[in-house]
Amino acid sequence: MAEIFARSEAEIVDAVRAAREHRRTLEIVGGGTRRSFGRPAPCDDVLDLSALNGIVSYEPEELIVTVKPGTPLSELEGVLAAQNQRLGFEPQDWRALLGSSGTPTIGGAISANASGPAAIRFGRARDHLLGFRAVNGFAEAYKGGGKVVKNVTGFDLPKLMCGAMGTLGPLTELTFRVFPKHAEKIFVTASGDGAVLRKVAASPLEATALIHSGGKAYVRLDGALDEKTAMLRGFGDFAETDRLPALPLPPREWPPEPPARAALTRAVKAAFDPLGIFNPGRMYEGV
Amino acid sequence: MHLAEADPSILSRRAEIVAALNALVPGGVVSDRAGLAAFDGDALGAYRQPPLVCVLPTTAAQVAAVLKFASGNGVPIVPRGAGTSLSGGALPRGDGILLGLSRMNRIVEIDLENRSVVAEPGVTNLAITRAVEAHGFYYAPDPSSQIACTIGGNVAENSGGLHCLKYGLTTNNLLGVKLATFGGGIVELGSKSGSDRGYDLLGIVTGSEGLLGVVVEATVRILPKPPVTRTLLAAFKSVPDAGRCVADIIAGGIVPAAMEFMDRRAVEAVEDYSAPGYPRGAEGVLIVDADGLKSEVDDAIARIAEIARGCGAEVREARDEDERARLWAGRKAAFPAMGRLAPDMLCMDGTIPRRKLPEVLERMSRMAEDYGLGFCNVFHAGDGNLHPLIIFDVMKEGELARAERFGADILRLCVEVGGVLTGEHGVGVEKRDLMGEMFTDADLAQQQRLKCAFDGAGLLNPGKVFPTLSACVEQGHMHVKHGRVPYPNLPRF
Repeated sequence: MAEIFARSEAEIVDAVRAAREHRRTLEIVGGGTRRSFGRPAPCDDVLDLSALNGIVSYEPEELIVTVKPGTPLSELEGVLAAQNQRLGFEPQDWRALLGSSGTPTIGGAISANASGPAAIRFGRARDHLLGFRAVNGFAEAYKGGGKVVKNVTGFDLPKLMCGAMGTLGPLTELTFRVFPKHAEKIFVTASGDGAVLRKVAASPLEATALIHSGGKAYVRLDGALDEKTAMLRGFGDFAETDRLPALPLPPREWPPEPPARAALTRAVKAAFDPLGIFNPGRMYEGV
Repeated sequence: MHLAEADPSILSRRAEIVAALNALVPGGVVSDRAGLAAFDGDALGAYRQPPLVCVLPTTAAQVAAVLKFASGNGVPIVPRGAGTSLSGGALPRGDGILLGLSRMNRIVEIDLENRSVVAEPGVTNLAITRAVEAHGFYYAPDPSSQIACTIGGNVAENSGGLHCLKYGLTTNNLLGVKLATFGGGIVELGSKSGSDRGYDLLGIVTGSEGLLGVVVEATVRILPKPPVTRTLLAAFKSVPDAGRCVADIIAGGIVPAAMEFMDRRAVEAVEDYSAPGYPRGAEGVLIVDADGLKSEVDDAIARIAEIARGCGAEVREARDEDERARLWAGRKAAFPAMGRLAPDMLCMDGTIPRRKLPEVLERMSRMAEDYGLGFCNVFHAGDGNLHPLIIFDVMKEGELARAERFGADILRLCVEVGGVLTGEHGVGVEKRDLMGEMFTDADLAQQQRLKCAFDGAGLLNPGKVFPTLSACVEQGHMHVKHGRVPYPNLPRF
């Protein structure tokens, strides 16, 4: 087994071309923290993207940032926070849950569509990737999407990359929309059940987290905190707390798909990676 | 632009195709000349083409059966909602079946507890809000044509609207669809809970312009209506001042619910048309909505007003709900208002980085002078989505071609400054031949391979989105030179 540390898109193209020629499979790895997630999928070689890292461009006034996939999440979040901005999604750190080490990267988070609690307000990770560059199984570098917040030109390939677990090929550049960061508060009620959270969700509070865990209901609010806190207390006996509970790990394996959908999944995989080079079998057998 | 020539081998089979459809969808086939004339195009008015035959199913099973027939018999299919596409997405083919979904117009389920509505594809966008507004909810994406356009068409085009700055496009408000595939099966994509594992096929189908399948049911997220909405009108002495104001508002961490710009020509046209009360003489006008809870709206409105005044604007607020509605009705009437000034109009739809607004507006004005055509600028300023309206007269020799060249130059400019060809109207036939301006051969080949995964025969909405035909087996090697096609009369996709 060879470990290939790619530092540029061109090096990835070379690595994929070699894998095609020699009929070898590649495990695409970022920080390696989510590596045991999914079906066991042993590969011939490892394509490590952690050295392909850094911020490519960041324009706070445009609310857009472009990064390389190996960029540590903490680095990206820090750069945004310095401008009082944030990603619209919150990839959870799975290291404790999976017993892994390493540094979580933005490419790995997107490939797992790791969205976190803010999905209730801002959508999942897939709602924030505006554009990307990648290398497909034909050893061609290509792009999908764009670098503006509103774009319907051609197929929305960025959606497909989110949650694909690297099976459609290595990403080499990612462009996100970002959001202004506001002061926030977290509340908990011991008597809470799912019903109180549904009431909050149907209210104008625009909560940024709603979690039911261990018999307690947690709500996170941002923005007009005085008015929102008063309104929240109308729904139940909420007290302020300092952190949200950790979300459980999603099931490690994907439930089988109905036949018609499974056929589409296989056809989509073949459209990007007909030889089955990238993370084969990680999501489904033969995909 | 060249439309595909009809395939004579399909035309010669017309009678048997009509008979087969009559058997599959009894009472739902339009095949007489006068009837078909009503289906000869969409809101891209310059192009008209009656379909071979039109079929109007009432059930998902009928849609699947029609697709299976078309696939088995090699007949192109063009899906159609209300026919409001501005890019020719529903433009029929002379050798194709027009599959109209307008009779599938029932709301299937309203689930307030889970904030979702399930609707058949022919339900109009506005009808979803109407069905839930008494309970304090609404459906956020609001294309200006919302009274007519359908949710099925919205999914196919990933439609936006005035309020997508804060609330996102269709794709961000869609929980699931049932999709009739070209093989004749129906697959469920997404789920009411919003979670879905496996490839994000829902995401890729949304905005695929009818090239990947036909939506036979959509589940959308509804939102609680914000308790407070306030609207400001800011009149600027110069266009760059307005552009700076937009950039400062966004950079200030404010996310208005909507932020719309109209230039002097648009303001004059709308005032002449419906007199909503815009200040004549201003070089540009911004209409800004803030919504949410009272304290956050008050704060946002105060800061927006301060920023606008700092950019030299005269600012006033709509005094009541009536005036608010009037200001927005004026904006939504920009299209018909300009339409009164000339018989024909093209509405462009590029998106640019917001900081490039002043530069792009200035360069477009110079282009308009060079082309000698009337135009105005209306756009969703908050997300940099431009809608230059070009007016012309198709009966005047060469004006259509000149208008299309002007429009294409505008879109090239959008791409040149880092933007895209279309922000919400779709590529359709209108921008098909410009795809090579934004995408490389490799980019386009990858998209077409995905098309082949859903429709290997290339019969689903052929001639839309992609500039060239390439058979699915050749997907590894395709050559498109700047989107220009060597044999423009060949049928595409």
